[in-house]
Amino acid sequence: MTSLIPHLVNGLTLGLLFALIALGFTLIVGVMEVINLAHGSLFTLGAYLALSTIGAGWFAGTPFGTWWLELPMASRYFIGLALGPVLAGLAGMLLELCLRPTYGKAPLYGLLLTFGAALVIEEVIRLGWGTGEQSMPVPQMISGAFLMGGLIFSTYKFYAAGFAIVAILLVWLFLERTPYGAIIKAGAHDSEMVRALGYDLARLRLIVFGFGSALAGMAGMVMAPIWGLRPHLGIDVVIPAFLIIVIGGVGSFWGAVAAAILVGLATGITGAYAPAWSLMSMYILLIAIVGFRARGLLGRRSALEN
Amino acid sequence: MMTLSDIPARGGVPLTPSMGVFVAVLATAPLWLGHVGLYQYLGVEIAIWILFAMGFNLLFGYTGLHSFGHGAYLGIGAYGFGLFQHSVAVSLWGGLLAAILAATLAGAIVGAFLSHRRGIYYALLTIGFGQVFWFTAMKLHWLTGGEDGLLNIPRPDLVIGPWRVDLNDNAAFYWFVAAITVVAVILMWRIVNAPMGRILQAIRQNETRARFVGYDVWRWKWLAFTISAAVAGLAGGLFAMAQQSAYPDVMSLHQSGIIVMMVLVGGGLVSFWGPVLGVVLYFIARDVLGGLTEAWLLWYGLIFVIMVMVRPEGLAGLIHTAVQRGPTPVPAAKPEKA
Repeated sequence: MTSLIPHLVNGLTLGLLFALIALGFTLIVGVMEVINLAHGSLFTLGAYLALSTIGAGWFAGTPFGTWWLELPMASRYFIGLALGPVLAGLAGMLLELCLRPTYGKAPLYGLLLTFGAALVIEEVIRLGWGTGEQSMPVPQMISGAFLMGGLIFSTYKFYAAGFAIVAILLVWLFLERTPYGAIIKAGAHDSEMVRALGYDLARLRLIVFGFGSALAGMAGMVMAPIWGLRPHLGIDVVIPAFLIIVIGGVGSFWGAVAAAILVGLATGITGAYAPAWSLMSMYILLIAIVGFRARGLLGRRSALEN
Repeated sequence: MMTLSDIPARGGVPLTPSMGVFVAVLATAPLWLGHVGLYQYLGVEIAIWILFAMGFNLLFGYTGLHSFGHGAYLGIGAYGFGLFQHSVAVSLWGGLLAAILAATLAGAIVGAFLSHRRGIYYALLTIGFGQVFWFTAMKLHWLTGGEDGLLNIPRPDLVIGPWRVDLNDNAAFYWFVAAITVVAVILMWRIVNAPMGRILQAIRQNETRARFVGYDVWRWKWLAFTISAAVAGLAGGLFAMAQQSAYPDVMSLHQSGIIVMMVLVGGGLVSFWGPVLGVVLYFIARDVLGGLTEAWLLWYGLIFVIMVMVRPEGLAGLIHTAVQRGPTPVPAAKPEKA
């Protein structure tokens, strides 16, 4: 039984990271009822942008680049952590502008458009950064490993999990405790009424999409040191996010968090006993849960069912 | 607003002018493909993908069920053919039958599971099952050869009575594939123009209404999925013959997405022939754009995104507008409140 504990810890950590990945995705699904299949690509794009910021890829060879590289690693890292998500957010806003003609039509069109966008972003990454795998450097203070109860854990994974907890709580507080969050939730519930009350719905959607995409970029930046960076990472990322939303139930914030942790635990535990099959466990979980509960754990009725 | 079911049924007569044009173009392709700057093997690829796309569109365009994991059934067909050659007997019809049966069985099981689901849940579960099949193909090394796949799949001779045709001859193989595609397309034409096609379209337009009118919606959705998987399996068998191998990438999500893009760009939502246009356009884009730039998928993706934005009814819809000069039929306008 004691041998199970490290796997549970690992699974829980993984689950929190999955929750971080799904956070922006669930926001966009909840508010706009758009399944953003480009979410994983924005995740990857954000990470690559941060990578270039940290390594001065933009200005390599120029005096500015040289000066930049002399800055301490930690400060470059945190500037990258800020800039990557902002740029990914801007890319997401551009995508939202493209999505506008599909509003009011069947959800299929949003799905298809974002699928095409995912393909485009992936190719852009391939052109810009090449096809090879790259690794994201991390500052000294959060690298290495530590011992706990006779077992070795990666410090960075704990840092990333802590990061995820803070991000989840902040987004939740924003949605639940600020007036802006109230408008966003109202926009998801009854867009006509929000419009009638005088709020600019188009701007609201643009901001939510940008914010959700920035969260994707941030998740990408945080996850990159663990998973490595490759152009087709997007598809490996968007599928878990998608699964988590459906397992948790479309439109439920805590459903998504719970589902993410469940998926993390399933992946972590199968990873310990049948590592070759651990990625499959999330699909089995999906089929098992959605097979019995059509709307996932905590889902409510939504237009996406039509 | 005009929708699919407003187009009058054509009584299941297989040889309309459009069918004639299709057969003529497919039959003469080897004669002119080389002259328009394309290479011969492209004909085989296009014919196989037309078969796959037509079967897919029965589900996607006609029934309105959005499968994003259809590459799985193409792959299962390919593995079915390859495994039969490797472990049962070197036999053409045996292999193709195994391909169809394997995909039909997989489709019947998955379809039974899916048919109670709607909308995005349906689409997501198709992805889930597609990924399960892909993953299984990757991991069952002893059966499927893992990531490398099944190699050296033989192309058995075609034997008709006293004649024996060597399908390793490229021209002979093209005729064989084209003939199968034509037969399957005529079959699809009959299905969509038979009452079954009307019922599927009724489900597409309003599932709840179709249920209240008295149709067993579950059974029809299941049947559409199974037939579509069977056709994909046949295409997969031919694919394994063409490539002489079967590998997991055929089942990848990327591949499943490409078929959706082809069908939508061609206009499969509004026209029987839309998928054919989409497949041809895709391969021409691949060859022409691919000759100009490494990142041809970037441009194809952009064309696709713009198409969804401004002309979601696809190429067939454009042609429809040009010919009729009337309002374009816009597919599935607003999600209905059930």
